[in-house]
Amino acid sequence: MDNTTLRESRAGRRAMFIAVPVALLSLAPLFWALMSSLRPGREIFANLHPFTLRTVFPEVWTLQNYAELLSGNFRPALINTLVVVVCSVVGGILVASLAAYALAVIEFPGRTAVFGVMVVSFLVPFEAIAIPLSSTFRDWGLANSYLGLILPAIGNGLAIFNLRQFFLNIPQSLAEAARVDGLGYFGIYRKIYMPLSRGALVGSALIIFVFQWQAFLWPLLNSPSPRMRVATVAIADFAQESGVDYGQMFAAAILTAAIPLILLLIFQRQFGGSMATSGSKE
Amino acid sequence: MSGNAAGMLSRHGSTPFPADKGRAAGAPAVRRRTRHWRRWVTAAVFLLPAFVALLMLRVVPTVEAVTLALGDGERVGTWENFEAIFTDPLFTGSLRTTLLFGVIINPLQIALALFLAVVLTQRIPLVGLWRTLILLPVAVPQVVSAIVWLVLLRPDGPLNSFLERFGMPSVPWLINPRYALWSIIIVCSWVGVGYWMTFLVAGIQEIPRSLYEAAEIDGAGTLRRFRHITLPGVRRQLLFVLVADTVANFLVFAPVRILTQGGPARSTDLVMHNIFERAYTLGDLQSASAATIVLVLILLVVVSIQFRLLPGKE
Repeated sequence: MDNTTLRESRAGRRAMFIAVPVALLSLAPLFWALMSSLRPGREIFANLHPFTLRTVFPEVWTLQNYAELLSGNFRPALINTLVVVVCSVVGGILVASLAAYALAVIEFPGRTAVFGVMVVSFLVPFEAIAIPLSSTFRDWGLANSYLGLILPAIGNGLAIFNLRQFFLNIPQSLAEAARVDGLGYFGIYRKIYMPLSRGALVGSALIIFVFQWQAFLWPLLNSPSPRMRVATVAIADFAQESGVDYGQMFAAAILTAAIPLILLLIFQRQFGGSMATSGSKE
Repeated sequence: MSGNAAGMLSRHGSTPFPADKGRAAGAPAVRRRTRHWRRWVTAAVFLLPAFVALLMLRVVPTVEAVTLALGDGERVGTWENFEAIFTDPLFTGSLRTTLLFGVIINPLQIALALFLAVVLTQRIPLVGLWRTLILLPVAVPQVVSAIVWLVLLRPDGPLNSFLERFGMPSVPWLINPRYALWSIIIVCSWVGVGYWMTFLVAGIQEIPRSLYEAAEIDGAGTLRRFRHITLPGVRRQLLFVLVADTVANFLVFAPVRILTQGGPARSTDLVMHNIFERAYTLGDLQSASAATIVLVLILLVVVSIQFRLLPGKE
C-alpha cells in the first residue's frame, strides 16, 4: 500500500467515526416513531423510565394502531389529501408543461422577458403571501373547498422552469419533421414533447406532490372546517387533543411520512430523464 | 415546502441554452408578419393558464396585502397599521426573536452542513447510505417531524430519560423560555442540515481531485486544503445555501405552531407565527398584512446583502 492510499484510508476511518453516529442520530427520532406506532398506545410511556431497550422496542408488536387510525377520523383527512395531491399534480403538470412549451419552443417576441417575470414571481415564497391570499380566496368563495386547496399548486414556477430546461434540449429537428408531416403546435406538444419528457415530467410532478403533501399553513388558513381537514392538519390536531392516543398519532405520522418516501423510491430511476434522442443526431 | 423543489432546480438548472434557430429566411415580408402574429397568439394561448394562475395567486394577494396594510377599513392611504404593529411590543418582540433565531440558526446549520459535506465526500464505505440517512428527515413532512419531537422533548419524554440514564440532568426543553427557542433550533436543524449538506456535497464533488493531490504533494494539511481548495470550490453552492437557508428560516411556522405556539412567555414567537395569530386568532387582517409586508421587505434586504457579501464568480 503506498503512502497516499494509507493516508486516505486513515482519513476515511476518521470520517467514519463522524458519519456513522451523525447518520444514526438523524435516524433515531423516526425509528423511535416507527417503533412507537407498532406498540399499544399505553405501552409508549410505560417504559420510559429508566431508559432501556424496552423504551425503544415494543414488548407487544401490533398493527392495531394502523387499523384503528384508518377506520377513524384520520381516514377522511387522508382521502382529502390524496384528492388534493392527485388533482394538483395533474392540473399543475398540464398548466406548467403548456407554459414551458410556449417558453421553450414557440419563438415570439418578448419570450425571455415573459419567462423572467414568471420565474421571479413564482419564486416569492408562498408562505409569505398565504395570509393575504386566504382573505382573497374567502371573498371568492374558495374557502373550505377542494379547489381552494388545489389552486396554489397550479402554475408552479419551479415546475415550469424545470420543464422548459428539458424541452430546450429536445432537438428542434424533431418538431420540424413533425410540422412537415402536418402537425400543429398543439400536436407537436402532445405527440412529441410530452412523450419524450417523461423523466422531467416525473420530476415536476414530484415538486408539486411534495409541495401539497407537506402543506400545513395553507390548509390551516383556507380550510378551517373539519370536513375539509387534510392529513397534516389532522395530525397536528391529534397532538393538541387532550387524552390523545399516542399509538395512533405515531401511526398517522409514520403513514404520512412513508407515502412520499415510497413514491420517491419508486420514481427515483425516472429522474435521470431518459430522453430519446434516437430520432436525430445533433 | 419550496426547499425540495430547489433540489430539482439545481439538478436541471445547468442545462445549456441551445442557440436559437434563425427565422426562416427569404419568406415574403407580409407572410412573415402574419406568421409572426399567429405565433404570438399561439404562445399566448399556451401561456394563458399559467398567466391566470400567476395573476390570481401572486399579483392579487400582493395587491390585497398592500391595500389592507395601507387601509383603515374605509379608505386607503394611511400608515396607521404600520404604526400600530411597530408600537406593539408583541410584534417588535417577535421581530427580535426572529432575528436572534436567524443569527443563531443560519451559521449553525451552514457550518454543520459544510462540515458534514466535507466528511461525507471522503472515501468511506457505504457513503451513500450515511448520506441518505442524514437526508431522510427532510423527506418527512415538517408537521410530522414536529409531532415526533413534541413527544421526544416532553419533560418525561425519551430524550430526558436517555440523558438521565447517562447521569445528565433532564432539560425543560419546551416549557422553559431559556430552552424553548433552542429546542426549535434543534428540530429545524435536524430537518435542515442534511438537506443543505446535499447541495454542498454536490459542489465538493465537482472540485477536481487533482487539486487535492497537488496540494498534498506540496504538504498542505487538512485545514489548508479546506481553506484554499474546498471553500473557494463550493462558493456558488454556498451562496445558494446561504440565501435559501436564510429565507427558509425566516418562514419557519409548523414547528412553532406544533411545539410551543409561540410560548412559553412568547420566547419562540417567530414572525410567521405572529402573523398567523394576527390573521387567524385575532382576525386582524390589516395588521397581519402590514406585518407580512415588513417580513417581505426584510427578506429582500437580507438576501440582497448576502449577494453583495459573497460575489460568486460568473
